[in-house]
Amino acid sequence: MLTPRTEPRVFEALGHPTRLQLLERLRREGPLSTSALAEDATMTRQGVRKHLGVLSEVGLVRDQRQGRERLWTLDPRPLADAAGWLEGFRVLWEARLDRLDAHLQRIQQGEPT
Amino acid sequence: MNSTHAPLELVIQRHYKAPPELVFRAWTDPAHLSEWWGPEGFETDTHHMDLRPGGEWLFTMRHPQAGVFPNRARYLEVDPPRRLAYLHDAGVDDDPSGFHASVDFEPTATGTQVTLRMVFSTPEARQRVVDHGAVEGGRQTLARLDAVLERLRAEA
Repeated sequence: MLTPRTEPRVFEALGHPTRLQLLERLRREGPLSTSALAEDATMTRQGVRKHLGVLSEVGLVRDQRQGRERLWTLDPRPLADAAGWLEGFRVLWEARLDRLDAHLQRIQQGEPT
Repeated sequence: MNSTHAPLELVIQRHYKAPPELVFRAWTDPAHLSEWWGPEGFETDTHHMDLRPGGEWLFTMRHPQAGVFPNRARYLEVDPPRRLAYLHDAGVDDDPSGFHASVDFEPTATGTQVTLRMVFSTPEARQRVVDHGAVEGGRQTLARLDAVLERLRAEA
């Protein structure tokens, strides 16, 4: 479970092109091994492993041993939490736009602003 | 949209029964803005507004308990009455919590369709969404609930 302290780190984890590329591949192609992920990425296997570690820390990916390889799976749940925050901001703006509506109606009816 | 980035984006559309010229003015005239910008319980004081690309809107949001919050919008596009785009931050240069906003005003048969788009690209800007969303969004929800309850009581 994510705590308020760990949640902002989800965004930090998302803020890197390579990590997004890794997530996109896992979303499109399903579980993949470290070496399969490294094939496509423009960096070394070691670099890919480091980025997978960052994603794993915030719970965006999970790994499973399969023989000598590690198999990585996307876990989108932390992203759903992030969307929840955006929803709060939307509520703030919906209320602001409601007030604009009321204001426009007031001034068009010729009432003092 | 650049696929190597994952900015948070918030898009809200709203239709107003008022001509684009008026809606645009409500969005760019300090006297109008102080009437609706809010949020509930906040006063919006404009210190300076220079409505042109490169110009700034400097304003303070004040709340008796929550405190004083300096804000700045740096205009990128000013195209009355069609479009407004700006960078919103806390009034300091290179503010990592700044975000990009655009507002499009489209005429319709009965008024104006407004499309508001806000893009949060840095971790700090996303955190700003978290803070504002949690605190102000929560308060707004409660304020709305109050309004609904009041109406229900009046109808009962």
